[in-house]
Amino acid sequence: MTATLSAPPTVAAKPRPKSRFWAMFAMPGVGWLVAFFVVSVYAVMAVAFGTVDPVLRTAVPAWNPLQWDFTAMRAVLDRIFGGDLGTVFIRTVGFVAASLAGCILIGYPVAYFVARKASKHRGLLLILLVLPFWISYLMRMLAWTNLLQVDGMVNDILRFLHLQSEPRNWLDGSASTVIWGLVYGYVPFFILPLYSTLERIDGRLIEAGRDLGASAAQTFFRVTLPLSVPGLMAASVITILPMFGDYYTNTYLTSGSPKTEMIGNQIENYLLGTSQPQTGAALVLVLMAFLFVLMAYYLVVTIRQQRMAER
Amino acid sequence: MNPFRRKHGSARGLAMITWVYVLWSLLPVLVAVRISFNSGKSRSSFQAPSFRWYWGDPVSSVWHDDSLHTAMLNTLQLAALCMLIATPLGVAMAIGLHRWRGKVSNAANGLMLVPIVTPEIVFGVALFLVFTQMYTGVPSGMSRQLIGHITFTLSFVVVIVRGRLQAIGAQYEEAARDLGATRLQAIRLVLLPLLAPAIFASVMVVFATSVDDFVISSFLTTGASTDTVPVKIYSAARGSSTPAVNALATVMLVFTLLAVALAGLAMKRMNKKSGDAAAGAAGGLAGLSG
Amino acid sequence: MTTSRRDFLARSVQLGALLGVGVPLLQACGGDSSSGGQKTQTIADGLKPEKGPLRIFNYDSYVNPDVIADFEAQYGVKVEITTFTTDTEAVTKLASKAIQADVYHSMASTTIDRLIAGGVIQPLNKTYLTNFPNVLESLQDPWYDKGSAYSVPYVYFGTGIGYRADRIDPAQVEKDGWNTLWNATDFKGQVSVLDDEREALIMAMMRKGLFDVNTTDQKVIDQALADLTELIDLVNVKVNIDGYKNIPEGTTTIAHTWSADLINAYAGYLPEGTDASVLGFWHPPAGEYLVSNDSMGVVGGCEHPVLAHLYLNFMLDNAVAEKNFSYVGYLPALTALDADYVIGKGYVPENLRACVPTKEDITKALFEKPLGVEGDAKYEAAWSKFTSGA
Repeated sequence: MTATLSAPPTVAAKPRPKSRFWAMFAMPGVGWLVAFFVVSVYAVMAVAFGTVDPVLRTAVPAWNPLQWDFTAMRAVLDRIFGGDLGTVFIRTVGFVAASLAGCILIGYPVAYFVARKASKHRGLLLILLVLPFWISYLMRMLAWTNLLQVDGMVNDILRFLHLQSEPRNWLDGSASTVIWGLVYGYVPFFILPLYSTLERIDGRLIEAGRDLGASAAQTFFRVTLPLSVPGLMAASVITILPMFGDYYTNTYLTSGSPKTEMIGNQIENYLLGTSQPQTGAALVLVLMAFLFVLMAYYLVVTIRQQRMAER
Repeated sequence: MNPFRRKHGSARGLAMITWVYVLWSLLPVLVAVRISFNSGKSRSSFQAPSFRWYWGDPVSSVWHDDSLHTAMLNTLQLAALCMLIATPLGVAMAIGLHRWRGKVSNAANGLMLVPIVTPEIVFGVALFLVFTQMYTGVPSGMSRQLIGHITFTLSFVVVIVRGRLQAIGAQYEEAARDLGATRLQAIRLVLLPLLAPAIFASVMVVFATSVDDFVISSFLTTGASTDTVPVKIYSAARGSSTPAVNALATVMLVFTLLAVALAGLAMKRMNKKSGDAAAGAAGGLAGLSG
Repeated sequence: MTTSRRDFLARSVQLGALLGVGVPLLQACGGDSSSGGQKTQTIADGLKPEKGPLRIFNYDSYVNPDVIADFEAQYGVKVEITTFTTDTEAVTKLASKAIQADVYHSMASTTIDRLIAGGVIQPLNKTYLTNFPNVLESLQDPWYDKGSAYSVPYVYFGTGIGYRADRIDPAQVEKDGWNTLWNATDFKGQVSVLDDEREALIMAMMRKGLFDVNTTDQKVIDQALADLTELIDLVNVKVNIDGYKNIPEGTTTIAHTWSADLINAYAGYLPEGTDASVLGFWHPPAGEYLVSNDSMGVVGGCEHPVLAHLYLNFMLDNAVAEKNFSYVGYLPALTALDADYVIGKGYVPENLRACVPTKEDITKALFEKPLGVEGDAKYEAAWSKFTSGA
């Protein structure tokens, strides 16, 4: 770095930062997103509001908004508000909410311990925490189907611990298995951002709390927890968003029980298994809109918090 | 089980939870690896151990089945290219968006966040439709998949790097400028080295995402020659295939762990302060909170 | 020809969308945007095979890799296999040219008329198919493709109930027929129906004695949906096509399944120490028995049509088909491989003789036929409701 700083001075006066200079940096990326993301989403709309080739049943997109046909979207909305798709939506939200709760209950103590208490094994623990990322998600889910069989290891362990007398068929299509599966699959995504927030909390603040006579529990609830809220929120967001699009975890863990179907299954089925791609595309749009509202809420809350903090 | 009762007691309780969690998270990995050593065709029960699905089987083993090598090479090639393109593109975008003020910039900022809140299935569907209906000029599955992966991971890079930019602040760059560096020099010689941990984290996240992605890859594959490992695993899970896919996943695991370990060591040597790879990645992900 | 027109369309759309002048352009082209009516050419006689690679589009694990290796060795070419998971996905990808393939390996009979009309498959030149006479007589001139002009049969199978003979009495299954699924309250969570809207709904209809398997009567479909939905609470039903492994491994006791799944179960999925006698298969009597077959075809405008023809012919060879059967468990549609032959050779145990459809089964069989857009939409809507668990 010394070499850097001893570079011969070339410009005497410091010019004002020019916006165009920085825009040039951002432009390639922005252009990329417009070309491949914005246009792609438009293609989904063109398909959702388009028609279907009568012979091959492939989508015939309506690129011109003046020719948009809202039949499929209207049918989808009817089925969501008071129809069968509504049940699927509510179930999906329920699964995601329960899984998020599971992620918090498991992820928070783990992140807290690794960030603030594990001085000796922290490096090792961090490596172990990211390890599951390096073997395919699908492979790990398949392994669960093996562990959860009637004669599988989970029943053996539960019997060994005397938590259960009769072996249970975990894969019989129960919601709890799917929720456990989702927690398992997504909790690593939850732990890491939370970990880094907890790790950055200034230890002196916590010491101050203790010095002022608060108990460990009081310090935790009054100091540590509030300070970790931004990390908790961010972790929650990056955990639940992919869950909403998940359609493989439940398929693997219940061999396709109608009792555990999520919205992603319906999307996949309509796009790959039926002659109505426009219905699938319409469902995609509804899901996007729903997540948008959720995100907008998150942004409003975080911005408000930031303003409060700055004040 | 109140973990806050006593100072030492609480740490012990938390430690137990953590180690049980680690066991729980790794158990299925061990099972998947164990099944790759099955001697029979079953992918769901343990059988006598053998190397049949690695090289023993003259047709379906990883060593002999061309489609499995191809899948592995495709996956690694795709992830490497994605990393090489998405990272610089994203770093530049993060630096630009961090400084650039104005209406267009606000819109670009918003646009950048949208892919993050978009589930993979939406990406898969949207890109599949756009490539078959509009960008028909993009010929091969590999280039389509590459474009898909870059589009999906670009925003991760931006968010991670921006988190770090905020933490750094402007003072180092200003100091460099005061000492006479040009703007580009200040970025190249001061800012980029300071961003190294975030860039490293981005590379890891991009690589991991690309290697594990199957929704986008499978929507955009144009033939066996462009199937990736997760696509193989997914079709295998739904068809009647053999533990060879477990063997494939195990080989991939070894490969990626080696790569990560090497990268981590290199990183450590380059920047001793930044800590280990995992901490870097975690710190980067935390950018999402900022 | 086709390609260039599509490219032109796509480019003009791109341009039009960008410039905001797409409307008149699109309207001008809109008239013929449907792909119907395209016909593809037959290849000439006696051409030399291309250098390859031969690109096959198929379900996963639906052809023996040994057989593929033999073909590669015999013709000195590489073979690449791309997989799909549903018929619709396959047709969509082929029709939109998202996939470039030479051989469409397993076409469902209900899609073939559309594949022909849409120019997705090309007419076959029979002079290359010297093994065609090996095909079952009843499938040489099938209802879906008169004179086998565009397709040759690959494998065939019937739809019935696969079950664990050690947990439920075969005589009881024989007596109850399709009611076996509704009576299986002792086996909650161990009962499955096929993940296929028509198969499953037809099954519910047949249980009520309705054998018009191609009905589009909304009332009949609604009743079948209501009956299927009962299974969710009665037996905690699963929806999948995994009977081939779930029955031998014991996680499923009663499955609405295809005959070939049991042969597959026997061949590769019985855990050590489990005897083949635990497997059972029931199917309705001839005349009420739904039999299906998959067919192979050559993709229209593909790069290696001669090689593709040679491959089709290769697969119709008796010895090749037998080797293929030993791996996939789905019975090749060839006369030589009848029940006595495959049982004698040990591919199928005697207790699963019912898995091989007899001549009478085939001649009297019920077939799923194309229902048109609206007919299919009715089944799809009912199916979506059923799987949503609402």
